Amino acid sequence: MEEGDASKEMLTLARKFDAETHAISMEAVQPYAPDAIAALLALVADDLNASAVLAAGTDRGNDVMARLAARTGLPFAANCVAAETGEAVSLTRLRWGDSLWEMARLHSPRPIITVPPHTFPIEDGPSPAEVDVKPFVAQLDAKDQLVRVSQHIAAAGGGISLTEAKVVVSGGRGVGSREGFAIIEELAALLGGAVGCSRVVTSAGWRPHTDQVGQTGTKIAPDLYIACGISGATQHMAGCRNAKRILAINSDAEAPIMLNADYAVIGDLKEIVPAISAEIRRSR
Amino acid sequence: MTAAPAIALAVVLVSAVALFSRRAVLLYRLIRLGKPAKRFDDLPGRVRAEAVVVIGQSKLLQRWLPGLMHAAIFWGFLVLLPTILIAMIGIVDQHATLPWLGEQGWYALMVDLFAFLVLAGVITAFVIRKVQRPPRFAGSHLGEADLILLWIAGIVITLFVWHASRIALGLNEYPAAWAPISSLLARTLGGALNQTVERAAVWAHVLLVLSFLVYLPYSKHLHIFLAAVNVFFGRTKSRGRLEPVDFEAPPDTVRFGSATVADMSWKQMVDTLSCTECGRCQDVCPAYNTGKELSPKLLIMALRDQVLADGPKALASKAAKLSPLVPDAVTDNVVWDCVTCGACVRECPVGIEHIDHIVDLRRNLVMVESRFPEEAGSMLRDIDRASNPWGRAQGDRAQWAQGLDVRVLQPGEAPPDVLFWVGCAPSFDERAKKSAISTAKLLKEAGVDFAILGPREACTGDPARRMGDEYTFQKQAQQNVATLNEAKVTKIITTCPHCFNTIGSEYADFGGRYEVVHHTEFLAGLVREGRLKTLAGERKITYHDSCYLARHNDVIDEPRELVAASGQAVEMPRNRQRTFCCGAGGARMFMEEKRGRPINEERVREAAATGADTLAVGCPFCTVMLDDGVRETGAKLQVIDLASLLSEAVERRKSQNTRQSGGF
Repeated sequence: MEEGDASKEMLTLARKFDAETHAISMEAVQPYAPDAIAALLALVADDLNASAVLAAGTDRGNDVMARLAARTGLPFAANCVAAETGEAVSLTRLRWGDSLWEMARLHSPRPIITVPPHTFPIEDGPSPAEVDVKPFVAQLDAKDQLVRVSQHIAAAGGGISLTEAKVVVSGGRGVGSREGFAIIEELAALLGGAVGCSRVVTSAGWRPHTDQVGQTGTKIAPDLYIACGISGATQHMAGCRNAKRILAINSDAEAPIMLNADYAVIGDLKEIVPAISAEIRRSR
Repeated sequence: MTAAPAIALAVVLVSAVALFSRRAVLLYRLIRLGKPAKRFDDLPGRVRAEAVVVIGQSKLLQRWLPGLMHAAIFWGFLVLLPTILIAMIGIVDQHATLPWLGEQGWYALMVDLFAFLVLAGVITAFVIRKVQRPPRFAGSHLGEADLILLWIAGIVITLFVWHASRIALGLNEYPAAWAPISSLLARTLGGALNQTVERAAVWAHVLLVLSFLVYLPYSKHLHIFLAAVNVFFGRTKSRGRLEPVDFEAPPDTVRFGSATVADMSWKQMVDTLSCTECGRCQDVCPAYNTGKELSPKLLIMALRDQVLADGPKALASKAAKLSPLVPDAVTDNVVWDCVTCGACVRECPVGIEHIDHIVDLRRNLVMVESRFPEEAGSMLRDIDRASNPWGRAQGDRAQWAQGLDVRVLQPGEAPPDVLFWVGCAPSFDERAKKSAISTAKLLKEAGVDFAILGPREACTGDPARRMGDEYTFQKQAQQNVATLNEAKVTKIITTCPHCFNTIGSEYADFGGRYEVVHHTEFLAGLVREGRLKTLAGERKITYHDSCYLARHNDVIDEPRELVAASGQAVEMPRNRQRTFCCGAGGARMFMEEKRGRPINEERVREAAATGADTLAVGCPFCTVMLDDGVRETGAKLQVIDLASLLSEAVERRKSQNTRQSGGF
């Protein structure tokens, strides 16, 4: 077994709870092969006579558990925030976009449950103690390895994701065209930030929907949000309201964005944005 | 007289009735399979609808040519009904007729004229279908329609030939002059009309009528029987109201929308079976007209096909496995394309209520399957957590009123004469705020005693409800009704037609009964009473009726009074109750418009074509959508709320007064 960072975390966690730990060699399932993981889990669960299978309710966690459930014919409850054992497992799960708690009883010899991420603080357990790590070896069917990640293609535009970037440089209608985004991209690259845009821009097909900041796009909270040629409609502001600072560059001094901006430059973004980039280059 | 024709007729009649009944019983059982729907109230309203829509053909006559065509055939058939009996008597005994009526000259005249009108109607229908070919028929069963028209033509032609032969043979009980067309035919054909022709014609007529009767319940022409039923049980008031989900019902009976045909209400079953595929709904649908997947006609046809396919299975066994309506009958896209503008419902001559079907499909997708356009999720969460769809701080709700000296009603205080229910968009959206500010200023100007709720006002839940998230809606409704009742509010002004519809038409279901007026109605009243003095300016104004104001709630005149007080009015082709949506209704405001062309731009182009320089609106969502559309299309239009327009007119009057008094 190789100890990657993730498995180190798992081991730490297991030690905290003084649990018997079994690790699956993930070599056959790297970088990601959901059927293969589900197949291994099914074998391990049988082997250990596990009373339940739990996983994190991430995209991958839910994917693998759904496959495990289909494979074993056992019921699967996703997004549970509480579980109590009994003749039937009493569950509380989040429904309807987290607006409703559903109290349910799950009748199953081996409940399959996922827990939504970021819903619990990690609590301290008993102090870490050394535990035995018992290897488990199994053979996988070739067909279980058919579905797997074969290649990662980085998204165009640098690779800093919109949600994680400390600086987001965003363009709106005022940018004027797909090509007009060159100056936005340039400034974002100089600041080590990501490129965002408003709904108008994605509707016009200048940028992909993944770049859209707003109520119906991505909601972000960067340290600095530079809004270029964006009027600041409510739908857009819903996506960037949590930015620590907003700098608006707009030719319209009456634009709603001015009411929400910490700093504003009134003028043509096609002159101002390249000027900022030039100044950053000069000062370096 | 021999017994043979009577026996033959009896055999034919019994077989026809048997075949008809077999199908009719199945259809009746399918309808009874439907879940309960409260449609037995307001008898006078139902009778009125029947008189106006069915007998008066009001909806059909909205389009004059196909309307007159249909009215001719429909009224013709009503007049001709007794002739079926007369013809059957004629088969049994050539010298007998229906006592009294069969001998009346005036009735012979009516039959002659209306039979001719039916024939003219059929020919017109063929011309419409074959020459004009309107796009509303796209996707309808065209061959079936042709067959039905030929059948009707056959029925009328055989009737004429029979009447003409009777006149030629001197068998007519009424003076021949009373039937000018049949007489003309008798004179023209003359000797060709012998005994054999008379017998053949009457038999052919009766056989065509009876076979038509049998064919009807197997065809889309079933509307002959069901349209009258469906119109009778249609909504007579509060057309913008949705039926609430009863979450307190025993767990097994709570209806979380429609997953399969077994979840549909009996009214919805009748809806689907009534459809005659005329496509008027499709013709006015904003989604269909901008290249989206939804066609209200194809939606109802698909549901009907599913009712006929799965309904019998459900009747056979309670445990039968039924296919999911989405995606087996219609795709997810169809369900989410709808703006709930109600254009289809208003247009439908047979009383189909498309919105109820869409909302029920959405309820199932949202509440059971958690399947909806993901970008709308944050709206639902924010209404639930922050009491407004953008997740803004409730504490900021009254920020727009800063410096305006507007009273914020505190718990325990005496209620004002009118409560100004501001709404989320006018509270938070920079563009929509202007209407709230203008309204507040005008109310102050006129000396109206009003107050706002400030942070105690919460989203009415309209977008959540139209999305299908009935649970979040009811939570909002209960909270708001509690606030309003506790504050002893009796009269409410809203600037948002969605708030107007929800509080006015839907909160009664949750114990909230208030007099709700739209700000355009209230302000028009102040102008009429002379409490606001105006002076019209130079603006050329076209007014955009919002669906939830004009179509769902019939408020059309007061906004126009405000336009007239502010400038020169010019109408768009689609106006009043037949307005065209801005694209924001049905929670579409909070979804991406990924399919087809943008609805808002379509409407802005229509407004720009009037030559107006001002696009007046009475809805904050329309304001945002149309203002976006103006920017997008580059149209030379200023989008402005009627309250702000009126405010200009009031200021103009004041400054004129100042100038005049300054002159002295």
